[in-house]
Amino acid sequence: MSELNTSIKSPPSIRISSGEYHQRWRLIKDVLARYGVVAGGLGVIVAIVLIFFYLLYVVYPLFISATAKSVSEYAIPEQALGNTLLLEMEEQNEVGARFTDSGQVVFFEAATGKTILTQAVAIPEGTHIASFAQGSPINEGAVIYGLSDGRAVIAKHQYKVTYPNNVRVITPSLKYPLGEQPLVLDDSGAALEKIAVKVGENATTIVAKTADTPQGPGKIRLINFQKEQSLFADEAALTRTDSVLEQSAAGIAGILIDKDESNLYLISNDGQLGFFDISDKSSPAIRQQQNVVDAGQKITSVTFLNGDLSLMIGDSSGLVSQWSMVKDKLNRPAMQKTRSFKVSDKAVVSINAEQRRKGFMTTDADGIVGIYHSTAERQMIKERVSDALPTAAVLSPRANALLVQSADGKMHFWHIDNEHPEVSIKSLWQKVWYESYPKPDYIWQSSSANSDFEPKYSLTPLVFGTLKAAFYAMLVAMPLALMGAIYTAYFMAPRMRQYVKPSIEIMGALPTVILGFLAGLWLAPFMEEHLAGLFAMLMIIPVGVMLFAFAWQFVPKAIAHNLSEGWDAALLIPIILLSGWFAFKVSVPLEAFLFHGSLRDWFKTELGIGYDQRNALVVGVAMGFAVIPTIFSIAEDAIFSVPKHLTVGSLALGATPWQTMIRVVLLTASPGIFSAVMIGFGRAVGETMIVLMATGNTPVMDLSVFQGLRTLAANIAVEMPESEVDSTHYRVLFLAALVLFMFTFVFNTLAEVIRQRLREKYSSL
Amino acid sequence: MTAQHTRTHTIDVSSILRDQKTTGEQNEACIKVENLNLFYAEKQALHGVNMEMPKKKVTAYIGPSGCGKSTLLRCINRMNDLVDNVTIEGKILLDNENIYDKAVNVAALRRRVGMVFQKPNPFPKSIFENVTYGLRIQGINDKRILEETVENALRGAALWDEVKDRLNDNALGLSGGQQQRLVIARAIAIEPEVLLLDEPASALDPISTLKIEELINELKEKYTIVIVTHNMQQAARVSDYTAFMYMGELIEMGTTSELFTNPRKKQTEDYITGRYG
Repeated sequence: MSELNTSIKSPPSIRISSGEYHQRWRLIKDVLARYGVVAGGLGVIVAIVLIFFYLLYVVYPLFISATAKSVSEYAIPEQALGNTLLLEMEEQNEVGARFTDSGQVVFFEAATGKTILTQAVAIPEGTHIASFAQGSPINEGAVIYGLSDGRAVIAKHQYKVTYPNNVRVITPSLKYPLGEQPLVLDDSGAALEKIAVKVGENATTIVAKTADTPQGPGKIRLINFQKEQSLFADEAALTRTDSVLEQSAAGIAGILIDKDESNLYLISNDGQLGFFDISDKSSPAIRQQQNVVDAGQKITSVTFLNGDLSLMIGDSSGLVSQWSMVKDKLNRPAMQKTRSFKVSDKAVVSINAEQRRKGFMTTDADGIVGIYHSTAERQMIKERVSDALPTAAVLSPRANALLVQSADGKMHFWHIDNEHPEVSIKSLWQKVWYESYPKPDYIWQSSSANSDFEPKYSLTPLVFGTLKAAFYAMLVAMPLALMGAIYTAYFMAPRMRQYVKPSIEIMGALPTVILGFLAGLWLAPFMEEHLAGLFAMLMIIPVGVMLFAFAWQFVPKAIAHNLSEGWDAALLIPIILLSGWFAFKVSVPLEAFLFHGSLRDWFKTELGIGYDQRNALVVGVAMGFAVIPTIFSIAEDAIFSVPKHLTVGSLALGATPWQTMIRVVLLTASPGIFSAVMIGFGRAVGETMIVLMATGNTPVMDLSVFQGLRTLAANIAVEMPESEVDSTHYRVLFLAALVLFMFTFVFNTLAEVIRQRLREKYSSL
Repeated sequence: MTAQHTRTHTIDVSSILRDQKTTGEQNEACIKVENLNLFYAEKQALHGVNMEMPKKKVTAYIGPSGCGKSTLLRCINRMNDLVDNVTIEGKILLDNENIYDKAVNVAALRRRVGMVFQKPNPFPKSIFENVTYGLRIQGINDKRILEETVENALRGAALWDEVKDRLNDNALGLSGGQQQRLVIARAIAIEPEVLLLDEPASALDPISTLKIEELINELKEKYTIVIVTHNMQQAARVSDYTAFMYMGELIEMGTTSELFTNPRKKQTEDYITGRYG
């Protein structure tokens, strides 16, 4: 009590003395509040920066360049066992295999060259290997030996992984899928000079070129074994079909069979590519004969790209060209050159395709190894691996290691770090010519059922879809929200405004999942049914409102004046409902009369505009509905807070309320209106649930309002759960998120800068 | 409405006008207020006001805060229409036409009766666009006419020399006094007959106030001016006639010199001698 008295009596000191508890506590609160606010503000900024950097951190590996590193170099293992026909490596990059021309298979440690196992293939006595070929390297690992007596042996190399004592041990072995007994391919016993095989699950197809014999010139034979599972026996019976191609076997240098065993490609020494349809194994038919290299050049190496849809043809000038199957004008499949890579000035020695992606490795006469990605049209790696001519090369199944054998008797083992070759600025944003597409295009197609599918990551259709959805949403929302805001803030009776404004703002609190749900399940089918009614509504409602306004003039003054000013909008509610109802009623006979009963079909047949049930119109309406409250609320506040003395000043100069609104109110409120529109746009760009549920999520680039779309946000929501962590798909999705983030960031920043500018211009009001 | 509320004060304007005639000046009433009552909802703010304001003279309304002088001023160009729940009875005649007639176009009336407010209210536009605003809303967009009008109006408002080099600058960059003169220029650009000034200098510094007062003296050559002011010295300096209002009633009106030197009512004398207000 006494303390209180003294504090009242004496004037408060400027300095804080320890006794003045209240003063001190006030100071502490002040400091706490200050640091609290600063911490909160900084926290927000830090959080956003962290999000940004995290996105960047995940995305960054997409853009780092591939590297190759030499691991070891050693003498060719068991060189005495013959020259290498084929080098192989298993999935873990631990075991390498060397198939020799003496019928031996040498399994060795890929890193050191230490021999693990040497096995002889069952080559019958008295014959020798006349030709050799590898089936597709993927999965099966089958090889075929064509013998000098017209027979052939198919072998498989397999690797069994066990974990004794928790240590991974890989045991290689050989197997004979069609039996150890050689298959007789040519009855006359002519040597098989060239051979190719495809071992499928239920069928095996062999194509072999026989040597010229005194009886006649060599032939190209096609032998197919179809496995027929008997219902009663466990043993599967093999049905053999034989046929001979009506094609001169002279000069055939290479044979390739695709994985479906329905297309056959013959490469001749003079640079010709013969393309045969062998889907009917008993009567193969030629489809196309085409020269595939420049005049004077020779084909030096050919391989399928993963998926067996494209051939990579290397020639003596160091050019590798990709030939893909494209439908021609008559809708027949035909081989067409889609792109080419200049890999060297010297001849291409070998081409090895990656087993899981559309990449390939080349070696040239100088011992330079190049790794490329075909669709991205990128050179990933170019390194000199050996100084001598490479004699054999293999890329590991995961494409993260390679083995090159060179003419100086050395084996070179390299590690490769090449995680995301398919992603480049070009493949993300520009048109890309994918295999079996008729022309380059923007495509987003990240996954499919089969494993040799090539994912297509073009962000362009997603950005396009995002902007399209936002555009149509703004087309719906902007006029309604801004007009509504102008009327509510400037013309409406204050009491009515008290009800209208909160109601519209509550609209904004509606969960968007409900809007999306309604849009997808109710609005989309409804629109599809009543498209004509919708268009009729667009025309009839304004006409109805105009007519009512015109008629209102003739209402007796006594009635008209009972309605206090600014309540006239309420009268329009029944008018709008009535004209809406009328529009739907009248649209049925109108549609029958003008559009043969269906506006949708009329669009399709007369204008060629297709109609998707989930389309941009549905999204425009649904998302427009979600965006209206945002735009309305901010714009209404901006217009309402235009100082009264400005409007009064304008009115005092003899301006009508309308002139005042256009010339003074909107001008002064323009910063607020602008930011309302920008925030609305930002919301429309980032909105996820509505577009997810109402767009159909079709990543097409079509401006038509009746076509679906896929937005960046919906795409992330749809695909993130199914993408493998750290895969290219995963990182590209993060990139999409980053793009979305940048989008909203740039838009909001731009909006804020412009708004500040405007506010500066119209400040001190 | 009680009897007390309907008391009326008739000022013998004709006698004032007669005085003027003797000095040889031409004079006629420009605005006549006849029996004007104004209610804000249930509250009566003006009680049966009758007065006449002569042409090309300055009439000042004085009185304590809340006495209704601004309300009365706003009735002359019907700015009170903008207030909710306002009821106005009686007549105001502008050149013998009742401005409260149903047939009156309010926008046209306001073009003839310009108004300047207490707080300078230039639009967030250029100086040029501010002055031409009144013309543009009438659909006059001829560049030559606009430029001519801007110069004349700004000269009329004694602002030309200060702003002639920066007509395209934003008006919000001007000082308060300049803004107020700009607003006056904007008002006279459309050549009204009457200029209503609602405490035009109360938000300004003394030097700006002086300039405005000088301006009023010049403007009365061309316009009938009605000014509301708190400042009795200002009323004495600028006006020809002064009306003293109190509690929504017109107490006394006369030539300024007479009202200040020889008030007829006790309330007037109390107010001008500073006993209340």
